[in-house]
Amino acid sequence: MKIEKHKTSSPHFLGVDLGSAFTKFTVCDAGGKIVHQNLIKTLNIRSRSLKDSVERIYGQFSIKSCCATGYGRSKFEPAQIIKTEINCAAEACLALRPKEKCIIDIGGEDIKIIHCDEAGKVESFYLNSKCAAGTGAFLSEIAERAEIDLTQMSVLAEQSASEREINSFCTVFAKTEIMGWLFDDVPQQDIARGIYAAIINRVNSLRIDSAGPVFLIGGVAANHPFFNNLLRKSLGKEVFVPQKSEFIVSFGAALMAKKYDDKTKRD
Amino acid sequence: MAYKIKSTSVLKELMRDYFQRIGQREKPLAWCTSVGPAELLRSFGFEVYFPENHGALLGATRTAGSNIPAAMKCGYSGDICSYTTSDIGAFLNQSTPLKTQYGLDGIPRPDLLVYNTNQCREVEDWFHFYADRFNCSIAGIHPPRHLHSIRAAEIELVTAQFKRILPLCEQISGQKFDLDAFREVLQLSSEATLLWQQVLRTAMASPAPLSFFDGTIHMGPIVVLRGTVEAKTYYAELLQELQENIAAGRGFLQQESCRLFWEGMPIWGKLRALSDLFVQNDAAVVASTYCNSWIFDAFNEKEPFESSARAYTEIFINRSEQAKFTMLQKWIEDYRIDGVIFHDAKTCFNNSNARFGMPLRLKNKLGIPSITIDGDLCDLRFYSEGQSITKIETFIEQIQNQKSFI
Repeated sequence: MKIEKHKTSSPHFLGVDLGSAFTKFTVCDAGGKIVHQNLIKTLNIRSRSLKDSVERIYGQFSIKSCCATGYGRSKFEPAQIIKTEINCAAEACLALRPKEKCIIDIGGEDIKIIHCDEAGKVESFYLNSKCAAGTGAFLSEIAERAEIDLTQMSVLAEQSASEREINSFCTVFAKTEIMGWLFDDVPQQDIARGIYAAIINRVNSLRIDSAGPVFLIGGVAANHPFFNNLLRKSLGKEVFVPQKSEFIVSFGAALMAKKYDDKTKRD
Repeated sequence: MAYKIKSTSVLKELMRDYFQRIGQREKPLAWCTSVGPAELLRSFGFEVYFPENHGALLGATRTAGSNIPAAMKCGYSGDICSYTTSDIGAFLNQSTPLKTQYGLDGIPRPDLLVYNTNQCREVEDWFHFYADRFNCSIAGIHPPRHLHSIRAAEIELVTAQFKRILPLCEQISGQKFDLDAFREVLQLSSEATLLWQQVLRTAMASPAPLSFFDGTIHMGPIVVLRGTVEAKTYYAELLQELQENIAAGRGFLQQESCRLFWEGMPIWGKLRALSDLFVQNDAAVVASTYCNSWIFDAFNEKEPFESSARAYTEIFINRSEQAKFTMLQKWIEDYRIDGVIFHDAKTCFNNSNARFGMPLRLKNKLGIPSITIDGDLCDLRFYSEGQSITKIETFIEQIQNQKSFI
């Protein structure tokens, strides 16, 4: 990827989160203030949209360094450093709240539970690697089977008082279960709520023992406020959902890029 | 220049000669489980073949995936040991890397099958499959399982089981049991196993001259050739090379940012990729329960039956959670381990040790962090590469951050 660098005087730092569903860009200034964010669908590393975004950012800002994260991190050529999304999430949440906390990141294909100590360092973490139950992909697949518009799902679920839950962890079998609900004329509101409840059950099977609050980040948190409320009730503790939570990891990557630049200068 | 262990060329010759001897069929052939009574069988003049070694070969050559379905069609669940299913599948498909790599006609026909359930029950079923297929005699050792400590009564029980298989060995081999021959083989095995132990312990040095991944390759002779002069000679030579590397400050990773322990089975089809991943991240995987599983320091030729019974019963896989914790603690201290990687192998319940709270105990009692990788020894359908790489890289970053913080 050829990049023409722009020549503005103030230095900026780019974080790119190449996730399984979307690629997120965050640009920060030297003070760590977010000055730009955009999101594109993750296609392939040579896609026009990716190239356009990168060219636009490098054209607009004087990018001193770039950090890539997410599943495509090792393929992103402009990056000076590569960090995993878990450490980037921790870095971003440290900037938001420098205390002990538990981060729940629900992305396209995974759920991450990250325990951070008081200094914001990752103390332990969980990442699903057997199946994608309870992730963004699970949610969108089931919603599609139930013919629920994802943008309306949260509003629909809010209208339901149903306690119905999908039992199956398996995305494919869950779709079969939903088929049964459709045949039984279960209202869409109840189906929407049931899908969220299945993800809550999945999260509840994971260890969340941090004394601090929960930070809920990722695409699901960004687009499904009803889910966030359901999780609050289920966990019985403080759950912070940062603004534009789908960009938190790319924000952390931008902060990592700045750290890298500071270190390079020191060395 | 890239770090290389020169003795690897000798290892290749040794393994080739071993398999060619098996192919030549000059001696009666006994099949034995990898931690079964190989010394006793060798004392009767048997050549000894180890199906688990074949399972590892199927995993490493990534041919397990094409063979496992044949075993499943034969009634074996895809959730049981993938050594078993890939080996049985390879037999049914008449497809084995032993043909291409060592020139054998196929999986060699056994004259006797002997297993030890000290590691799992699967080996018993696995060997019975072949006993039926080949109409072959079979015998087994069934030690008490999951022991906290090894008591005299248990040694007595297992000793009696060892002795019980003598008449069958005499009948098949055509040789009378010779106590002196047994003592001699056991002494050779003891010497080789202690040399292997010293080989592994070279990785206590930093930079370490031997990684866990190297160990999985160089352990070949201690599995298939223990009780022979060749195994002893090989490990003496390997040890000398590694000691020279330590003296010269040579290691597989010159700058170790952290030292890790691999717990559980290797992921045979991903050894190279995983080895490269750790090295690229400056992380040295210096020790493992797996490679240490072939250290039988209880062997004593003066008490060949009793010491064999003890050695094969006290192995890690056959111990209680408390005993396993104590063993892990010792390795963690000896090798100055910063973190543990648990491989939770889908088809190897018995050698997956993250399921009963061990990671949390290590964290709470020793302050040692760990991660659990979901995968399998042979069946790569149970291994998600992207997620596993993210886990490993995060774990390394986590340890590096913690170390720099201190």
